[in-house]
Amino acid sequence: MTTFKTIGKSEPRRDLPEKLTGEAKYTADVQLPGMLFGKILRSPHPHARILSINVDAAGSLPGVRAVVTPFDAPKGQVAPDMPILDTEARYVGDEVAAVAADDEDLAEAALSLIEVKYEQLPFVTDAVEAIKPDAPQTRPGGNLVGGKPLTLIRGSVEEGFAQADRIFEETYSTPAQAGAALEPRAAVASWDGDNLTVWKSTRGVHADQLALSLALDVPRGNIRVMGQNMGAGYGTKDETRLGAITAVLAQRAGRPVKIELTRQEEFVAGRHRHGTTTTVRMGVKNDGTVTAVHATTIMDTGAYLSSGPGVIRRAGQGALYLYRCANVQYDGYLTYTNTPSGGSYRALGAPQGHFALESLADTISEALGIDPLEFRLKNHVGLEGQPGERVTPANEVLDTQPVEGGVPFSSNGLRECLQRGSEAIDWGQPSERPESGNLRRGKGMGMFIYRGGAGGRSIARMRLESDGSLRLLTGLMDVGEGSLTVMPQIAAEELGVGYGQVLVTFGDSETTPEAPLTAGSTATFSTGTATKEAARQLKARIIEVVAPLLDTEPSNLQITDDGVEHIQYPERSVSFAQIAESAGEIEVEAAISPGSRDHVINSFGAHFAEVEVDTDTGQVRVLRYIAAHDSGRILNPKLAINQVEGGVSQMLGFTLSEQMLTDPRNGVTLNASFLEHKSPTLQDFPKMQVLFADVVDPVGPFGAKALGEPPSIGVAPAVANAIYNAIGVRIRDLPLTPDRVLNEIEAQRGDSQ
Amino acid sequence: MKPFKFEQATTAVQASQTHVDAAPNARFIAGGTDILGEIKEGILEVNILVSLAGLSGASEIISSDVGLEIGALVTLARIASDQSIVETYPALAQAAESVATPQIRNVGTLGGNLCQRPRCWYYRSPLFDCLKKGGVTCFASDEGNKYHAILGAENCHIVHPSDVAVALLALDATVVVSNASSDRQMPIGDFFVSPNVNMLAENVLEPGEFVSKVKIPKPSSGTRSVYLKAKERQAYDFALSSVAVSLEMRDETITQAHVALGGVAPVPYSVPQVDSELTGQKIREVDVQAIGQLAVKDAQPLSDNSYKVRLTASMVARAVSRLISE
Amino acid sequence: MAQLPISYSASITLNVNGTDHQIEVDHRWTLLRVLRDVLGLTGAKRGCDRGECGACTVLVDGDPVCSCSMLALQVGGRQVRTVEGLGDANSLNVLQEAFLAEDGGQCGFCTPGFIMSATALLESNTDPTEDEIKAALVGNICRCNAYGRIIESVKAAAKSEAS
Repeated sequence: MTTFKTIGKSEPRRDLPEKLTGEAKYTADVQLPGMLFGKILRSPHPHARILSINVDAAGSLPGVRAVVTPFDAPKGQVAPDMPILDTEARYVGDEVAAVAADDEDLAEAALSLIEVKYEQLPFVTDAVEAIKPDAPQTRPGGNLVGGKPLTLIRGSVEEGFAQADRIFEETYSTPAQAGAALEPRAAVASWDGDNLTVWKSTRGVHADQLALSLALDVPRGNIRVMGQNMGAGYGTKDETRLGAITAVLAQRAGRPVKIELTRQEEFVAGRHRHGTTTTVRMGVKNDGTVTAVHATTIMDTGAYLSSGPGVIRRAGQGALYLYRCANVQYDGYLTYTNTPSGGSYRALGAPQGHFALESLADTISEALGIDPLEFRLKNHVGLEGQPGERVTPANEVLDTQPVEGGVPFSSNGLRECLQRGSEAIDWGQPSERPESGNLRRGKGMGMFIYRGGAGGRSIARMRLESDGSLRLLTGLMDVGEGSLTVMPQIAAEELGVGYGQVLVTFGDSETTPEAPLTAGSTATFSTGTATKEAARQLKARIIEVVAPLLDTEPSNLQITDDGVEHIQYPERSVSFAQIAESAGEIEVEAAISPGSRDHVINSFGAHFAEVEVDTDTGQVRVLRYIAAHDSGRILNPKLAINQVEGGVSQMLGFTLSEQMLTDPRNGVTLNASFLEHKSPTLQDFPKMQVLFADVVDPVGPFGAKALGEPPSIGVAPAVANAIYNAIGVRIRDLPLTPDRVLNEIEAQRGDSQ
Repeated sequence: MKPFKFEQATTAVQASQTHVDAAPNARFIAGGTDILGEIKEGILEVNILVSLAGLSGASEIISSDVGLEIGALVTLARIASDQSIVETYPALAQAAESVATPQIRNVGTLGGNLCQRPRCWYYRSPLFDCLKKGGVTCFASDEGNKYHAILGAENCHIVHPSDVAVALLALDATVVVSNASSDRQMPIGDFFVSPNVNMLAENVLEPGEFVSKVKIPKPSSGTRSVYLKAKERQAYDFALSSVAVSLEMRDETITQAHVALGGVAPVPYSVPQVDSELTGQKIREVDVQAIGQLAVKDAQPLSDNSYKVRLTASMVARAVSRLISE
Repeated sequence: MAQLPISYSASITLNVNGTDHQIEVDHRWTLLRVLRDVLGLTGAKRGCDRGECGACTVLVDGDPVCSCSMLALQVGGRQVRTVEGLGDANSLNVLQEAFLAEDGGQCGFCTPGFIMSATALLESNTDPTEDEIKAALVGNICRCNAYGRIIESVKAAAKSEAS
């Protein structure tokens, strides 16, 4: 059994002290001399051409220093389908113009003086309607992105269904769910000649730097993006127009400009989890063996594409890969509508897809008379992967989100999750009968698979500094999930020093090396692997440099907390400071393109919920929740537990109370507030137990695999299945709000009369 | 926010006169938790906010053998925790405790809570020109109405948002309204008005008038009361439906009953048919389910809120049941 | 040239963390705005500006309030306490140490607000039950949903204070 110095220890979160005292700076806390405040004018119409904008009055208001409209904005693109500003508004809330003024109230007053002439256009707010041929067109070329669905096939579902004894099909829906990060996004921009500095909430300083460079037509080297502490994002703080607009205003005003979105703007003009309608069709033998899976998802990307293609892909992975099956198909329809845009909210489309898949699995189990746990134990994909032939050439890195069969996983602890999780919730035993006649209890489960591993190319730099400090530099942004703490754990462990000795600089496009987005649960794998490699290289270099100083071979030396010492004669030693003094600063850089040629690196899990339903009020209480995860070796247990608990609690909102509601008559988002978009509070937090499978992945750094997003995936099916177990009512539309529960109970009572 | 003047009044006369002089663009402010939100939302333009916080006696709770007098500036937190209220008027304490969050309750006042404007999302959004704002349409009539009224609504379908008002209705409270020269008082049921009577306001206050205190008669020794609130999440939510019940019970018999409903009508809603049905019944013989059904017999649900009918019936049954079994 | 609407200002004395500050404020300015933009105390955060999230929670005369929902002019003559008055990164107080040990935060945006609500709780109740902790802190939203760790942190702080 390996003993580690710091891996596996709950080292305190490195950035927590300054967050506890209020000293941690977020973008809205940035103050610069002469700074102005910007505000954005937004469309009141779901779809309209902007015929003209008169900013004379607004621009002449004392204290207004800059104005930008689509008629005078630079012609660059923030995204392929999104210019910096456009003469067409595509949803209620779409950016139309912006001003910068001496203070916020002035900027607001200026906005109210801007006169816009709109020509309203036909609009569509519902995704299922939008893909019909006669739907109002949101874009030339039609609403369906790419003109056709994303279709992925392994084997042949026709054959698979032909082999089935029984075929089941159901349709499920999930709402748009706001990420609603507590910090509304903000940006500060300041020019110094041709050089632009931007402070912003971001999960990728280099990605933002590139995006701004393209949008503003400014060389990348002239742009510096300084990532600030981020009041979270859960993926939803993907780039929007905000950074570019702020930069343009600052350039025109000749002074720094800050824009802070209001909470309402963050809801409407931020990004959210895509709403979906999914039909799953599964063929099974009478003994429960799965012979075919065919899932079709219609997903609403809203007015702009953002990360839609990634999300629609992710929504199919459960159907394609969770159940061992030779014959599977996924068709994903991604459609534009005139509503706010979806983005990369934690686990992307996987929760939506798994809700449908895992709900149907329970329906099938019941119909066949098989325990839902047994059904999954019988059919879940194993270490050897899916049946079929490998398609990716042998010398190429494997996609961590494959369709092909014939490729094994690097590790797969799903079975252990199913077994230990079910034991922890006493799966075999029915729930205790509650005292009140109107209360019903039940248990339910859901299992899941999630890609992790390969993110983008990642670079980590490590340095022995002139004063003897050891520093890790990474472009990675800690988005609150703890990579700022875990990366130095990896570095320290590899180097052989104490955790506290590794200092970290992160998230500055000028001083830190290229890093991918903190996204797709890839941070641990990509930057972690790069970090481990950089630490290994630094260790080797240091020892190499010290060997002649101590007049011995490198193989006789080891690194300690204080420096380097001779293994047999520890009194022959030298401190890090002394090394730096004599050899100068030592810096190494490790660049990796992560991935494996031989294995698919995925995380797995199984969630179990026990709920109590009040059949008089429709309220659902989660009595206890078990989250069992295979994420390889857990590098920092307390952080990991916090991640899992947080992900589960967050998605109880998705399951029970949260939905973004758009009025179909005029495209207005009705509930763009914390009061009306009902996120879980402290009182909603259930009793939870987190279990980690005993898995050490052979590929991941120190055996770790992705953990950030998987906790989001099992919640909706576990709870929905538990509700079914409690009251015998199957609800296929999220969220499972009291009104829905009551209506379904009523409908069932009506049916049975 | 657009600019406004904030003036701290020291006397009722000053407060009232300032309000009248600046009408219709003046508003009274107590804690301010609702009114600042409306100003920020852009649905309320006001030139002057007249603060009542400095008025003498406005923050007092006076308990006597006759009953309770609560100054309009008493915070919800104080009402929720005051021993005399918790013991003798539990429905009121429970209603106050159920409001929002501790932060809001520490600042929000009795008067402000009674006078708060509706939470209807069409009302709160400047993008809907609804009846309550002087427009011609109620956007909840045909769709998008899951939170709206099932009782007592004709053209406008708001629900009154105050928890405290519902409890006070069941406790037969009296509202004292003051202006520069005098006070007038009325049963709380007469303080609130439905949209048919006044579309643009929810109560009878005239320019220059403000709620100065609320009086509650002391319940007799056999009286118990309760406030129950059904919400969509465990906390910090307005009511989907709420119920306040006060029952006087003697010799195993209900001698007086007052049931009030919240979250289901444009005003805090009395159901006299339930009160009469309960009065005189032997506790052991009360059919709480039937009582619940009776409470909603006149319900006229909209397209999305029929669940409220069943929910409200259940809540009434539950509240009555709790009191008779205590 | 467009006209600015008339606005009103006042001179007030605001007592924050024990110190009196003489400042000019626009009548519209909320306590949150004054703390952040005039006094540079950026610990209290603007999460929603509507009193719906608690990220701006400070103590006024010992009670947690949403500073975004009070006007500065309503606070004159009262004692305001913010997170900056509790400790700094080099000397965390008992509550802050407990949060650090129990990992009571993720992105940290809600953290100052929780710290202030928890400070008020522990000043009036030295041994709160889990239900009392939940009731006292329910007005603070944590979107990372670190609620489990937050509850443990407050429990640990109460225990530390006791010993």
